[in-house]
Parts: sequence; C-alpha cells; structure tokens
Amino acid sequence: MHRVLYLVQKEFRQILREKAFIGIIFVMPFIQIVVLGFAITTDVKNVTLGVVDYDKSSASRRIIDAFDKTSSFIYMYNLESEKAAQKKLDEGLIKVAIIIPENFERDLRSAHAPVVQALIDGVDGNSAGVATAYVSQIARKLQIEWLQDAGVAPQVLSKMHLTQIEPRMLYNASLESKNNIIPGIIAVLLTMITAFLTGMSIVREKEIGTLEQLMVTPIKNYELILGKIIPFIIVAFLLMLVGILAGGLIFGIWVKGSIVLLFALSILFSLSTLGLGIFASTVSKTQQQAMFIAWFFAIFAILLSGFFIPIQNMPDWVQVVTYLNPLRYFIVIIREIYLKGTPLVYLLNETLAMGIFGLVTFTLASLRFHKRLS
Amino acid sequence: MRSNGYAVEVENLTRIFGDFKAVNDISFQVEKGEIFGFLGANGAGKTTTIRMLCGLLLPSSGQATVAGFDIYKEYEKIKQHIGYMSQKFSLYEDLTVRENIEFYGGVYGLSRKEISDRTKELLDYLNLNQQADHLTKSLPVGWKQRLALSTALLHNPPIIFLDEPTSGVDPVSRRNFWLLIYELVEQGKTVFVTTHFMDEAEYCHRLSIMKDGRIEAMGKPRELKIKYSADNLNDVFLKAVQGGAANE
Amino acid sequence: MNKTLSSIIKKEFRHILRDKQTLIIIFLMPVMMLILFGYAINLEMQNIKTAIVDNSKTPQSRDFIEKIISVNFFRIVSVDPDYNNLESLFQMRQANCIVVIPYDFARKLDHQPQTKVQLLIDASDPNAANYINNYLNMVANLYNLDHNDFVIQPLSVEPRLLYNPDMKSAYFFVPGLIAVIILLICALLTSIAIVREKENGTLEQILVSPVKPIHIIIGKVLPYMMIGFLMGLMILVIGHFWFGVPVAGSVVLLNLMMILYVVTGLSFGLLISTITKSQQIAMMATLVVTILPTIMLSGFIFPIASMPLPLQFVSRLIPATHFLEIIRSIMLKGVGISELYKQAGALALISLVLLGVSMKKFSTHLE
Repeated sequence: MHRVLYLVQKEFRQILREKAFIGIIFVMPFIQIVVLGFAITTDVKNVTLGVVDYDKSSASRRIIDAFDKTSSFIYMYNLESEKAAQKKLDEGLIKVAIIIPENFERDLRSAHAPVVQALIDGVDGNSAGVATAYVSQIARKLQIEWLQDAGVAPQVLSKMHLTQIEPRMLYNASLESKNNIIPGIIAVLLTMITAFLTGMSIVREKEIGTLEQLMVTPIKNYELILGKIIPFIIVAFLLMLVGILAGGLIFGIWVKGSIVLLFALSILFSLSTLGLGIFASTVSKTQQQAMFIAWFFAIFAILLSGFFIPIQNMPDWVQVVTYLNPLRYFIVIIREIYLKGTPLVYLLNETLAMGIFGLVTFTLASLRFHKRLS
Repeated sequence: MRSNGYAVEVENLTRIFGDFKAVNDISFQVEKGEIFGFLGANGAGKTTTIRMLCGLLLPSSGQATVAGFDIYKEYEKIKQHIGYMSQKFSLYEDLTVRENIEFYGGVYGLSRKEISDRTKELLDYLNLNQQADHLTKSLPVGWKQRLALSTALLHNPPIIFLDEPTSGVDPVSRRNFWLLIYELVEQGKTVFVTTHFMDEAEYCHRLSIMKDGRIEAMGKPRELKIKYSADNLNDVFLKAVQGGAANE
Repeated sequence: MNKTLSSIIKKEFRHILRDKQTLIIIFLMPVMMLILFGYAINLEMQNIKTAIVDNSKTPQSRDFIEKIISVNFFRIVSVDPDYNNLESLFQMRQANCIVVIPYDFARKLDHQPQTKVQLLIDASDPNAANYINNYLNMVANLYNLDHNDFVIQPLSVEPRLLYNPDMKSAYFFVPGLIAVIILLICALLTSIAIVREKENGTLEQILVSPVKPIHIIIGKVLPYMMIGFLMGLMILVIGHFWFGVPVAGSVVLLNLMMILYVVTGLSFGLLISTITKSQQIAMMATLVVTILPTIMLSGFIFPIASMPLPLQFVSRLIPATHFLEIIRSIMLKGVGISELYKQAGALALISLVLLGVSMKKFSTHLE
C-alpha cells in the first residue's frame, strides 16, 4: 500500500498542476447544474397563441380572455383569416391558433352548440399533447361558466352525476422538472468524469512512455490500478459534493434520504465507470481513440438510462438493452434517495445489479490491463 | 541476484508478431560487470529483445534468465533487480525534479527516509539543486536523460537496461552520459545498452550486431575489427550487415 | 484552386481515410445512434403501472375500474394493496400511480352532482405525472358520458393537430437527432485536428512554410465538411426510409441548409482547437460544451419557450437551435426559404464569428 500512496500523490500533483482540468472538473459541472437545472423542463409554458375571430362579439372575446388569462398561453396575434393563421404556424411564430366561427354568439344563445377550432402545431408531439390538454381544460371551464350564466345550472347540475379526479402529486407537488433533473445531472456528471478521466490518464501515460517505465518497476498490477482510480474516485466525490451543494443552494433541492447511503452506492457505481474507463484505455492506443470509445459509451449510457425518457415507454427490445447499462440502476438509486428518501431495502435489486456489473467490468478491465505490453 | 552464472543468459529466443519474426532465434550471454552493446539499424529487433528481458513482452519461444531468474515465471522478481530506461522519455514533465525522484522512489518501495537521502544525494551528484523545484519539462534534454537514468536506478539494481538512451542528445551530453555509465560499471553493475551510434559502440566491452531479428556478429570491438578487417566499427557494422544479406 | 490549399486538403483526407477506427466511428456510430434512439425516445407514457384501492366494492366502482382497464394506457399491478403502506409502493417503484375509490363512492354518485376519486401520482417525473393525470381525467369523462342521460355542452372546442396528426414521436425526434449528431461529430472531428498537429509539432512545420492561416483553416474545414455532409445525408436517408419521416419541403433546400450547418459545427470545433493546448483538453472541452447544451438547450427534447428568458437567449447562440427549426420546418411543415431566412442567417452569422475568432487566435498563436 506504501507504493499506492505515491501513485495517488503523483496523480493529484498532475491534476492540480493542470489549470484547465480544475476548470473542467469543478467549474463546468457547477455551470451545467445551474444552466441545465433551469433549462430542462418538460413543462409546457408560454405557448404562443394566435386568434382568428370571425364573430367579434362579447362571447368570442370571452373565449379569447379565457386563454389569455392562463400562464400557459401567450396571446400574440389577432389574425384576419384561417389562412393567415396557417402562415404564422408555418413560420413557427405561433404554436396554437384558435378559430372562432361566424355567428358564434348567436349559435351559443340559441343552443346550437357552436364549435371553436384549435389548430395545434403537432411537430413536438409531447408539447402538442400537453397543449391539447390545456385547451380541453379551458374548454371545460368555459362550458361550466356558460351553463351557470345561462341560469340553467342548478336544475341541470342536479340531474348530472359526475365523477371527478382529485390528483395528489407526491414528492414533487408543484410538478417541477428540476426536481427530477438535478439528481440526474449529478449522476451523469459522475459517470462522465470517472469514465473519461481514468481512461484518458492511462492512455496519456501510454503515449508519453511513463506507463512502460512503471511496468518494469516491481509495482504490482493491483497497486497500479488502485493508484489510478483512488484519485479519480476522490475527485468524483468532490464533484458530487459540488453538485449536491449547487442543487441545494440554488434550487433548494436537498437529499431527502441518507447521504451516507447515497455516497456508498456511488462508490459502488464508480466501479463500473472506472472499469469501463480502464477498459477503454486498454483497447486504445491514442487519447483520441480512448475519448471516442468513452464518448460512444457515454451517449448510449445517458440516453438509455431513464434520465430524460422513462424506460417503460421504450420498445421491449430497447428495454432489454438498458439492463446492460449501469447508469440505468444508478439513476433510479440517486433519484429515489434524493426525492423520496427510499431506504436501501427497497433498492436492493438495483444495488445488486449495479454491484455485479461493477465487479465484472472492473475485474475484466483489470485483467486486461496487464503489466505487459500487448 | 542469484550468484551463479551470467547476468543475462539467452537461448534460442524468438518473438513473432503475426507472421513477422521480430526476434529470430538469438542466443548470447552477458557477464556480470560488463557493458554489453546491441548494435543494429532501426527495426532490427533490439527493442523487442530488451522488452522481453524486462518482462514487458512474452517471448514466442526460447529460454532466458536475467539475474538468474526465468523470464517466463519470475518476471516480477526480475523487476526488482533491473533498472530500465527507454528511448521515450520516462519522467513526468508536469512534475518537478524533486517530485519525480520522490515518486519513483516510492514506486520502488523505498522508505521515506531513504527517499529523502537519495534525493539529496542525486541532486548533489547531478548538480540539480538549483532546478530541484522546477518542472521537468524546463530542463535541457541532456539533463533530463541523466535524471531519468538516475531515477531508474533509485533501487540500486545490479543490471541496467538502456534502450537507445542517447538519441536526440548533443555530443557533450552524450559523453557525460557515458561517464555516468562507466561509474555504474565501476560499482559492479552490468549494463545492457542498445545504440546506433558507432562511437558509443566503442565504449562497450562486448558488442553484438543485429539485423532482421538475428545476431550477425558478436565479440569485443577489437576482435570484430580484426575479424572483418576493418579500421573502425562503422565499417565492421556495414560489412556484418551486408554479409548477412549475402548469406540469405 | 490554389496549389498550397489543395495539398493541405489532400493531406487532411489521407489522415482521415487512413484512420479506419475513426472512419467507422464517423459512419457507423451515427447510424446506430439514430436507430436506437429513434425507437427509444418516447415521452408519452405507456404501461402506466397502476394500483387500485377499491374501498367501495360496488357495481359502480367495478365499472369505473373496467373503464380504467379499457383505455389501454394503464396496467393494473396491484388491487387493494395495504392502505397504510401505500408509499412503499412508490418507493419500490411497483406503481406509477394509485387510484383510491372512496367507500361511499356509489352512494355519493347517486345523490350528489360531483363525486371525487383520489389519484396518487409519483410525481418525481413531472412529465409522466401530467400524462397520468390527463389520462385518468379522460377515463372519468368516458365514465360520466356512459352514466348520464345527458351532459349539456353549450359549446365545444375541437383540437386539430397539424403537421403530425398522429403525434408520432419519431417525427419530432428523428430530425432532432440528425441535428444533434451532425454537430457533435463535426465539432469533435475538427477540434482534435489542429490540436493533434500542435502536439505532433507538424503545425510548426506548416507554419514555417509560406502558407496563410486562412489556407490552413480552409484546408482543415473542407475535407471534414464533405465527410460531415455525407454523414448527415446518410442519417437523413435512414430517417426517411426507416422511420418514415416525411420530407414535405424541398430536398435541395434541406441539403443546402445541412451544408451550412456542417460548416457551423466545424467552425465550433476549430475555435476550440485553436485555444486549447492538448488533444485531451480539446476533447474534454468539446464534449462538455457540446453534448449537454446541444441536447438540452436546443429544443431537441425540451421546449425552449418554457425556459427562463436568459436561457432562451443562450439557446439562440447554439447552432443546433436554429438548425432544428430549419430541419423540422422543411421536413414536417414543408415551408421554404422565405420562412427560414432568419434561422439560416443566424447559422451563417455564428459560423462567421466562430471562424473569424479562430483565425485571429490562430495567426497569432506561434510567436
């Protein structure tokens, strides 16, 4: 172990001497958490709205007001015709156009049930779905208001027997995306830093020849590997701490469950990423190759982890692929501990899968990383 | 080191990469306390041989012992008895001189006290006290070379392998480097060195000339000059290499 | 073409074509990414794991449950779990939501205009929570229509989805993926191109020859431009024929825009390469400043309009934002250049600024 200490010391000296590294390791993650924490939102807000009012009556104005009043829509244009609305939609200047037909007020009063059209830009399927739901909500509200106004309400309502859904949102009452995203970003940053930096630093030593020099010393294989990964585990944890503090101080999102458990499981997770990093370094000759390999894995790992896209929405064969992704398990673990305070008992499956994955990759990589050249 | 026999003993050693025979059935012995030179053009198989002897590369066939240890089974023991320096630089350029010495000392398993003693000794010896806390990359090449050699010897090994240690160094630095090698031999160490400089070959006690993975000629510089009836080693080298080609 | 320039271009092509691994990564990886993600990215909730607590146990409540099953979005994983331990269902991730039907459901339904059904949702994923809430409201509406003789609707609003009437995720994400992939790979390729020469010392060699910095830059950009364009074309073809994403507008215009965008991506990489010293840092920097922002701030998945205002400005500085608007508009809406000149102009402007800055950095680099 004596030798490992010297390796660790050397690694830290090199890290601290490279100013750009410190920037990349600590400042960038901070910025990313701040920027992305604000940016990533699947909420649909500020939907730009155009209105074509063929009726120009008090009833039609009430419809426009109803849309204008909600924070979901921004009233942008009063348009001449459906054709003009279509053009604005084409240009992307509005996402929704409301078209109120002629004689709207008259039909309404004579109980002819007029139809208001809502043209919705469906390019973004998700936002379009949410916008459609907003439109329906506003429509429902208008219907009830109108019933009450017309004075028919009490009699009619007494004959109607409706069920009504009363939703209760647990763990994230205000439905804010950032609650979900911050733990995810921390997990992703941890993955990238551990996998990239270990791989890169080994290949760098290969390129400049110091690795060969180390290989002819009496140092043991496992000492060499420990000497490489201990510094990066420490860096990764500092980084995680920076991330947790940033998430807490800026977004007010603190770890709800056990921080000790979170860190312990993060170490277990790092085994997998460090193993992959070492593996990438053994199969590549140059830093460029190592980077490409690590990058390749990172992209797949992130998108197939459930970070943005729930895994249960994917086709079955893709779901099978995700079981090979260690980040998939860690994303669940970090979110559960962060948001729900879930205890270890309920995370055993993930922990076990991640642990096995980590041990296997780490062992295989270490065996491959032999003290001999090819 | 096991006391019996040679410092290095090689028998029918062969290394094949794909269908290319980098080292082809070579045999030789190196006496203790000898400077043994490996002479050859680039790609002749010198580096491959050294790497096999240092336990960096497994041979395809043949036998070899270094310091009495078998290179197949006991390569970890070999590593405690050898120093190695390659043509590529082996120091961390982003660490200071002192940090490099400290690091390699630690890697070779020296205690803290030994490290600090050795560091002081080395800095005095190499006259690097002024630059001790400068980054290694700021040193001139010749100094780096001598520092690299000294750090590779921190554990006081009896056998030293040098793979083209002086490529890219000016003549004065090269001379200083060889003075250092002579001092090591005086201390009773064995030096195994590859080179393609003929004047350096003159410094060796014994030489072997390699071509296409084979040893074409071997002997003391003086003997070789007589054998090939040449005035200098340059001619010896050319004749040995061309003669080898004619034989094939 | 200038002779020095053509020799630089030739040399660069040789570098690229000789490195088989890089070639494979350039051409194979985008295809794999497109196909896998084309299938994987779907934000619409399916197979919602649902637990039901039926405290009423009446024909009415059973009918309500039937309705939930009939809409196909919900998968019932548990009926009548331990009421005191509902939260552990969420913590074990066995359920996305729990429907609680009150014990007086049937009685209230007969006598009151409104009867509440409680819906507990694991809202740690807010998007999923929204979907679940909307779906269950839909179920309630269906139930209400079935169980009332009349529901008066004085007016109705009829939503009509344009450009993508079936709300296919692939229509939205495939063009987006093309934009993301092109930028990432182009920036990465060039950022290492110059730094590699810096590290090898070959840059110095070129700089002492009578070559103008602009020639070096053009010589670097042109070969990668062709490769980037080929790659873009390849994934476009796959997107169209494999995923059936239509190209409603002009194919020629789309390709021209793609060339412009490739140039932007390459200039981005060039700038990074001129200000970094080692390949390692160049790559790290490229990855950090391209991957996450391009995926997250460009509107690729997350709507820009929902971001805070300062970030909306930042997103305008990201080339992918503009190209995403262009490629989606051309492919799905079929609009022409008259609607897209602003975005095209923005891309051109970003490229010019990036190229200008890197040229300035570059010419003063070795002193």
